[in-house]
Amino acid sequence: MEIFMKNKLEIREITKRFGDSEVLENVSFDVADGEFLSVLGPSGCGKTTLLRILIGLLKPDSGRIFKDDTDITDYKCDSRGMGIVFQNYALFENMTALQNVEYALKFHGKSKSEARETAMNMLSAVDLAEHSGKKPKYLSGGQQQRVAIARTLVLNPDIVLFDEPMSALDIAARLAMRKELKNLQKRFGTTMIYVTHDQEEAFSMSDRIMILDKGNISQIDTPENICRYPADNYVKTFVLDNLQAKIDSLSRFTSIGCNGKV
Amino acid sequence: MMRIKTVNFIIAAFFIVFLVLPLCSMLHRITAEGFLSLVKMPQFKSAVKNTIVTSLTATAISVIIAFLAAWCLERTSIKFKSVFAMMFVLPMLIPSISHAFGLVSLFGANGFLTNIFKLKRSIYGFVGILAGSVMYSFPVAFLMFDGVLKYEDCTAYKAAEVLGIDAFHRFSAITVPYLKKTLISVFFAVFTMIVTDYGVPLMVGGKTVTLSVLMFNRAVSMIDYDSGSVIGAILLIPAVVAFLVDFFNKDNGQSSFITESAQLRGGPCLLPAYCYCILLCLCVLAPVVSFCFMFLETKYPVNREFTVSHVIRTINRGAGTYLLNSLIYAVLSAISGTVFAFCCSYLTARVKNTYSKILHLISITSMAIPGIVLGLSYVIFFHNTPVYSTAIIVVLANMIHFFSSPYLMMYNTLGKVNMNLESVGMILGVGRLRIVFDVIVPKVRCTLFEMFGYFFVNSMMTISAVAFLAPPSPKPVALMINQFEAQRLMESAAFVSLLILAVNLFMKGVIILLEKRDVLKAS
Repeated sequence: MEIFMKNKLEIREITKRFGDSEVLENVSFDVADGEFLSVLGPSGCGKTTLLRILIGLLKPDSGRIFKDDTDITDYKCDSRGMGIVFQNYALFENMTALQNVEYALKFHGKSKSEARETAMNMLSAVDLAEHSGKKPKYLSGGQQQRVAIARTLVLNPDIVLFDEPMSALDIAARLAMRKELKNLQKRFGTTMIYVTHDQEEAFSMSDRIMILDKGNISQIDTPENICRYPADNYVKTFVLDNLQAKIDSLSRFTSIGCNGKV
Repeated sequence: MMRIKTVNFIIAAFFIVFLVLPLCSMLHRITAEGFLSLVKMPQFKSAVKNTIVTSLTATAISVIIAFLAAWCLERTSIKFKSVFAMMFVLPMLIPSISHAFGLVSLFGANGFLTNIFKLKRSIYGFVGILAGSVMYSFPVAFLMFDGVLKYEDCTAYKAAEVLGIDAFHRFSAITVPYLKKTLISVFFAVFTMIVTDYGVPLMVGGKTVTLSVLMFNRAVSMIDYDSGSVIGAILLIPAVVAFLVDFFNKDNGQSSFITESAQLRGGPCLLPAYCYCILLCLCVLAPVVSFCFMFLETKYPVNREFTVSHVIRTINRGAGTYLLNSLIYAVLSAISGTVFAFCCSYLTARVKNTYSKILHLISITSMAIPGIVLGLSYVIFFHNTPVYSTAIIVVLANMIHFFSSPYLMMYNTLGKVNMNLESVGMILGVGRLRIVFDVIVPKVRCTLFEMFGYFFVNSMMTISAVAFLAPPSPKPVALMINQFEAQRLMESAAFVSLLILAVNLFMKGVIILLEKRDVLKAS
């Protein structure tokens, strides 16, 4: 389906070194408009570095980034039209949920009442309207996560990056969050790039998955195609074998079903 | 980014002008002849011997007393722990010279205890230095032990208990290794404190002259900066060694992951623990009480009638003005010191680059420089500048002298604040400065209060650097203790010591209240 879509983001030959170690090596890929792309790899494969380069927190040693055919490699991070949700949310703990979301709006030329209204609408969109007056420490992990997402979306970015956003959540909150993210994507039409080391997460949510290994792209394709045609041994062992193990452990229960009836 | 560079530059320039260059100019004064002539002096040899003997003995005693105190509070189930803890750190609120003066008031020729128990032995000399040094250094050791014992993980003890390991082996196999690094840190911290202090040996040393007193006599009384510089350089050695040992002895045993903090119940040793803590409290309170008697009685021991005339007379001698001076010094030092230490720790803890590593190193190195050495360096370096002998130089010296502890407080706090906050700000289009003021400062406000309190309390009672630097006017009040004692105006010296204690206690109270209010507000 991607063939018919316009490319939102084009990454060309990005290389990044820290001292002697090469973290990213000539990485090139495209992201389609409205796509949900997961970047999957073990810790240390360079996925977080890639994310920080995309958003502009790090400069690549070489390579360019194009967004809507414009070279944004040298743009500052607040003029790229992108947002990011961090693993540990990085909420402003001294502010309420509402203040967290409206804070940045005041710096973007909105009046106080406009900012408040926009922020409140955004909180409603992530189902947090009734908790708007609470400070982060009185919210659950999942609710904090949604404040962080609302704070990012309120500035209308057309691309949102996620840096392992669910690693601190329990399993129930994760399942709820997966659905919610997909809903938000549909609703706002945002392109999402989602970094994770969790195979199941990547395979359940993504339009396409990019598998990173030691700074190189092993494979980038739809979940189905990766299952059918793993590009190399690494993809097979790291991704598919792990996934298979999960499926095996669950298959014991498929005959029972999950509603308790045989 | 431009702003960060400017702040970087200002801080670097500040350290160079007010720390590196003065120290260099002091070291530059040392000549071979000056060194040799000093070494040949018989006084010098005995001073070295006295310093080593008194400091090592006092450190050992201080460490043991402090460890037992911390052990009683953290490992037994005695009551009133917070009261005891507060009592134990009370000596930190008065100048070292007041501790020595307290000894004089208790055990001196006409001391309270001398008269009650008809004591024969003089307090002046080795015993006096020992007692005074222990008095004012043990709270520091106590705080360090207490912090570490409080946060020890107790799962290891539970496991040992299940395995049937007896109490002695639990202590030797779990507690001792856990405390080893702390013990080294405490030992060197206390040792440096005692070696470089001259308040105690100056007042109760008698004929036992230590290096710090020799330096004080040479540099302040005889204005012999050459010999002073040599001794200053020698005093730097233990301080630098202590610093290096501590630096390579990082990680004070605090496990980052505490499943259950150890609160082991000690049934049988409950009574000894009470006795020990109460005895220690009495030792801490004895000088304070004797001060009160001293200035509220007409003429101890001849006329013991109650009077307030000493208070009035002391105020007439200028205590009120001097106190006001000290308050101004302390507030100015605390404000500028807190701002400076915050900027510095922000750069090192949250803007990581090669430069910040160097800055961090300089910041903690400043801990190794004794107050008297700093004072002499300033005298030599700033002698012909307009700031010399002004209030400004006193404030600057305080800022540098007490810099490293508040710096480290903030460095540790900022390191724990979410590292992505500034990134979030940048992506949201909010500048770094705004994030610092709107998000980070509210988060670390309690630490800011503590830093302010630390600078204030120490500036209030310091005598080491300011003895060299303070202008005749405005003169800080702590310097009057020695002066009054020298003029045999004992009541006035006692009153001034208590004034400083009262102000510092008040400040501590205010800081605690502010912190409590902040915790309430955050919820």
